[in-house]
Amino acid sequence: MAIAEELYAYSGGVNELLARYGVKFGIYKNGEFHEQLFPFDIIPRIINHDEFAQLERGLKQRVFALNEFLKDIYSDGKIISDGVIAEEFIYSGTGWLAQCAGVSPPKGIYSHISGIDLVQAKNGTWYILEDNLRIPSGASYPMIARELGRKSLPPEFFEKHHVEDNRNYAELLSRTMNYVNTGGLSVILTPGRFNAAYFEHSYFAELTGAHLVTCEDLVVEDENLYFKDYSGKKEKIGAIYRRISDEYLDPVNFNSQSLIGVPHIFDIYRKGNVAIINSPGNGAADDKGIYYFVPAMIKYYLHEEPILNNAPTYLPYYEDDMKYILANFDNLVLKDVAEAGGYGVIFGNKLSSSEKEKFIAMLKAEPRRFIAQEVIDFQDIEIFEGSSQVPRKADLRAFVLMSDEPVVWKSGLTRFSRNPDSFIVNSSQGGGFKDTWIMTEEK
Amino acid sequence: MDYDGGKINMSILSRENSERLFWLGRYSERVYTGLRSIIGSYAKNFSLDETNPESAVFSLARAYDNAIVLRDEIGSETFSYIQLAVYEINKAKKSLTPLIHLQKVIDNIAAFCGMADDSIEDEHARGIIKLGKRIERVDLYSRMNANVEDIRREIRRLIYRLPKTGLRYDAETLERLIMLANDDSLKRPEIVKEVEGLIKFLE
Repeated sequence: MAIAEELYAYSGGVNELLARYGVKFGIYKNGEFHEQLFPFDIIPRIINHDEFAQLERGLKQRVFALNEFLKDIYSDGKIISDGVIAEEFIYSGTGWLAQCAGVSPPKGIYSHISGIDLVQAKNGTWYILEDNLRIPSGASYPMIARELGRKSLPPEFFEKHHVEDNRNYAELLSRTMNYVNTGGLSVILTPGRFNAAYFEHSYFAELTGAHLVTCEDLVVEDENLYFKDYSGKKEKIGAIYRRISDEYLDPVNFNSQSLIGVPHIFDIYRKGNVAIINSPGNGAADDKGIYYFVPAMIKYYLHEEPILNNAPTYLPYYEDDMKYILANFDNLVLKDVAEAGGYGVIFGNKLSSSEKEKFIAMLKAEPRRFIAQEVIDFQDIEIFEGSSQVPRKADLRAFVLMSDEPVVWKSGLTRFSRNPDSFIVNSSQGGGFKDTWIMTEEK
Repeated sequence: MDYDGGKINMSILSRENSERLFWLGRYSERVYTGLRSIIGSYAKNFSLDETNPESAVFSLARAYDNAIVLRDEIGSETFSYIQLAVYEINKAKKSLTPLIHLQKVIDNIAAFCGMADDSIEDEHARGIIKLGKRIERVDLYSRMNANVEDIRREIRRLIYRLPKTGLRYDAETLERLIMLANDDSLKRPEIVKEVEGLIKFLE
């Protein structure tokens, strides 16, 4: 790629600045916390204007349908009574929160920030790999890489190459928080420095001006959520972008063993006195088992054909699918529906015969726990190893932000595997990241 | 489009962050004044021994621990000078010519202070870092046996800074500190004791 040759000279400069600004993620090794720089490769993923326009339509459609699905299952459950999805897929999933039934979030928005993972097959077709509707992370990395790239590259480089500006993410995020704000401050709730994505929490707070808070700074009093300041004053909060998961959010309503959380926050959320971003209970829609049904949801709620494809997926729960899985085991990838971050992913052909036997026994015992997918031979993207370019597997996380209308951020997090034999791109598994360039309209 | 639903107020500060800002000011000052004082008569263990709580490398690590969790208060630009100072002190540890790197640590801390003063919008947040610096300066000068006029000047600067932060301070301690500063024979250990007890954080 000609652009790669041109960019090589600037790679050191961008990486130096990423180190300077502390663009890191946290990781635990042998029970000890380390901060690591997130490896950045300067060769971007490039998506042309028309291709992105198509992705944009498909992503909006998908997120819209998922939001309708959440609204439905936490109220009337029509999709169940109409026989589109069997109820055990909803109520027995780990993401289902019975407490959310009958609760309607401000402005009816469940998934304010959706991170949809896609891959592009060798023939150019894009496939959705998974939906992340709980706390999708990663937008901060391409955001700051672009910001620092602008300092390290020749002036107006991005304009000359007709790349869409991606530095509006903070503005989109503010708009998303403000839209559902019930009156008061907007804050970002972080579990603290030892969270893997702490950099992102603090960077978003810096750029949006929303306060970064921890659970100790918050209190529920007289039906409202307040921030306590250092002089003892209290300020009302109207929107909380929480970066801690449902189970730790409120020890009174969810996990009583939790040492963190804000007691009673769920009670006032239920009354509509604060917006929680993303809404509790979203796990019911981004479960890997529910993923199978998203095309059906699009047809059911929107009466439209899905614009973007799912990767071909089989549910061992269905007898026919189970037969197919057993017959084609070596060609499939199996995923534990409750896991994320690249954990619980098993490639059929990587198991020894005894491991395989054991796995199949588990599959038969707990068919609801797994999905099987065809291994998509997705496109490689070049990365620099020293000064030479080598191909690596890469995926794309696209971000859809919902306020008065859904907006697809004109960029995305492209993650790559540094290991030539691996399809797993997660940062917790040693992967790196790239900027994603969306091209402006050809003039 | 509704951009006005949320109100962003820059002048609220959590208790935890007010303490962090204070200690960021103190530790950065400890690195700065500490290194400047030893750079003429360099002792490696004093500045680069991580296990020694009086070393510059130890203080800088504590400054970093506070700065990394204050990005939203102080800004990435201000934060970056602490990060750069950490990289330089790590180079000093491995170098045969550590002083040149330690000079850059000093330069970066100086840039940090300038940037903090210039760019932190929240008056209280900015004031608390400066107050931390002033307290640390009086403390260090007194411990290092600086001359009487220097210590008196630093106490004056501290007293000037004190009411500008919104932090609570002990009025009686302040009175004793003023008396000590006016005393003909400067009692340095007592100054250290009073200045350490000056600020009261909420429980």
